[in-house]
Amino acid sequence: MSAVFDAADVQGNILRGYRKPRVRYLILEVADRIAARHWLAASTSGRGDDVPQITIGNWGRTKPETCFNIGLTYEGLRALGVPNSSLEMFPNEFIEGMNARALKLGDVGPNAPETWPAPFDAPKRVHLIATIYADEVAQLDEVQQHALTDGKAFGLLGALEGCAFPNDVVHFGYRDNIMQPRFAEVHDGQRYEDGQPKAPLGTVLLGHPTNFEGLTWRVPQPEALGHNGTFNAFRVLEQDVVGFEEYLDRAASDLLTRPQIDELLPPGAEAKIGQALSIEGLSRHAALREVVAAHLCGRWRDGTPMALSPDAPDPKVDQANFDYVGDSRCPFGAHIRRCNPRGGQIVQRVANNSRRLVRRGMPYGPLYDPAKPRDPSKPEPERGLLGNFIGASLGAQFEAMSCDWLNLGLQDPRITGSNDPITGANDPGTSWFDLPLKSGTTIRLRALPRFVRTRGGAYAFLPSIPAIRFLGSLMA
Amino acid sequence: MSGEEGWFDRFVNGLPETRVFQRLASWVLVPYWSWRTPVRPLPGGPHPSIQPGDNLQCMMNLIMPLKEKSPVGRAKAALAIAQNKDAIYAGLDNVGTVHFARFVIVGDNICMFSVYDGDFTNYIRDFIATIGSVFNAVVELVEGGEAVIPCEHNVEAFIQWVHERDLYQVPDTATDLLRDQEALNGDKAASGNDDLRLLPRKVVLQLRANANVSLGSGYRAYPGFSAAQVRNQLGIGW
Repeated sequence: MSAVFDAADVQGNILRGYRKPRVRYLILEVADRIAARHWLAASTSGRGDDVPQITIGNWGRTKPETCFNIGLTYEGLRALGVPNSSLEMFPNEFIEGMNARALKLGDVGPNAPETWPAPFDAPKRVHLIATIYADEVAQLDEVQQHALTDGKAFGLLGALEGCAFPNDVVHFGYRDNIMQPRFAEVHDGQRYEDGQPKAPLGTVLLGHPTNFEGLTWRVPQPEALGHNGTFNAFRVLEQDVVGFEEYLDRAASDLLTRPQIDELLPPGAEAKIGQALSIEGLSRHAALREVVAAHLCGRWRDGTPMALSPDAPDPKVDQANFDYVGDSRCPFGAHIRRCNPRGGQIVQRVANNSRRLVRRGMPYGPLYDPAKPRDPSKPEPERGLLGNFIGASLGAQFEAMSCDWLNLGLQDPRITGSNDPITGANDPGTSWFDLPLKSGTTIRLRALPRFVRTRGGAYAFLPSIPAIRFLGSLMA
Repeated sequence: MSGEEGWFDRFVNGLPETRVFQRLASWVLVPYWSWRTPVRPLPGGPHPSIQPGDNLQCMMNLIMPLKEKSPVGRAKAALAIAQNKDAIYAGLDNVGTVHFARFVIVGDNICMFSVYDGDFTNYIRDFIATIGSVFNAVVELVEGGEAVIPCEHNVEAFIQWVHERDLYQVPDTATDLLRDQEALNGDKAASGNDDLRLLPRKVVLQLRANANVSLGSGYRAYPGFSAAQVRNQLGIGW
């Protein structure tokens, strides 16, 4: 282990978010191994006349106008000629690739990799994913052109573009981008106290202590290649916003017929919710839609955590600093509680805080406006999230969270056998979700459809800056 | 005449039951077949599934040959388990997803059989994090074990090592073994000849490649519940 950690050694989007409103992903295939190595060497040369410079972790006071980062798939490392002795030290899940891990990730049926459109229908050809962050589309174009200017190193298989909405709102109407792990070794003025233990650096970088005391992940050798690298699960997740809003309608109507409805929403309580949302004369049905949305996510759509304010959204409540202890009224099966149970009781006691991920995501497709009437003769535009789920071990973090927590619900016997209400592999014939009531009983919602559909993705290794230089210097 | 067996028919039909023929089959014919058509071992553990019920009460069946094949070697294995009894209970408690874990000595093998919930790699990783020392104490006595201990510093390799020793589970519908073979070889077409009573060559060769197997994935008297669901239902805390 190196003595002092230097953020200049890692790519800039890992430890901190850039908070740029626009992103473009270039899905690239190595066309010429030698030219690709030259390209990689040039991307860290500090000159930048030939190739955009990789943004590093200590960008300092002035954030670059555009940011540029790369991830390599296993096939990409092979295409660059990384020796077999190094390749075989990478973890199985990365070697097999995201397509092969479909069952663990719930990518089955209409989500199965066989249904993914290009370029993800040919996973062996996806070698390098370059990411450009900027304020304007013109800047994205400029960097893209700069990156592909020599025309020799890489073939462009596809490009995906995302654009942030005002106030960090994402599709489904929730405020996102509230929480990320904080790292003890990294100063970050953006982050504030969230009541969770600071994550050891090994949560997100290879070669450092992990969340499991005494456990270390294998660092692919040579040291220059593996140390301070990490892994990214890049996902193209289509979101059925219309289906989600329609489900809220159905669930609200269903709840109005239930005998326990007054316990879930006491008579008159809709006014309090309306007040928090600045909507005068909010109907009981409309308030219940918000109540359901809040339960499914674990946050009201304005970001207020259910754990702190279960009855109504409250802008005064801390959005970050909370826990699931005692009689928390955040549903056990709510999305944010499933993904990160924080300090709450879970079955796998040893796993608290061990599956945390750095998330960098941006919506794609137009913002849905519920006020605008839809034209049923026209197909809805595709909407979704371009998500990056980053951690030092895909198996111990992203996959572990996906297969036992998001789906299956193994962490709490009260949700075992159900899937995540928002992102899970749900089938309306069998799906269910429990809304907890103050009395300790629950109301069960059923027939949740699948709201999120996987449309592509890849496991990528995010090399450190020395590793990019190493790859650029490969011979033979 | 038709329908009556002559002495020659009886002789031919009786051949497979003769000792000479059986020896010939197992020492000459089967090795020759397997040389002609190499068969890859099928991977161990439960069949991957998205159904919640298939991911509860999964079985792990490890048969690990001891380095020291003698009563002394077996005694050492017995001692390793006995010395770690408290740690094993503590591990079960903290991992939370295990129903039963059994250690059995059969011949010169130490066997570890367990019933667990959820994903195999998560189960083994959580165990390494909790009581890695117990794994180390047992695996140290096993052939090839030294390559993956201490497990805390070889997490990925250790999980892989255990997975490679986990027995193949013949599907509950036994003919699906042929489907597993086809999937392993990337064959899409079902063969058509599924009559297991004929002891098809493919099955014999597979059981040569996977000498130890689990027949079925465990027969349950009740549907799958997680260990925590059982504990919660019984009011004993989880």
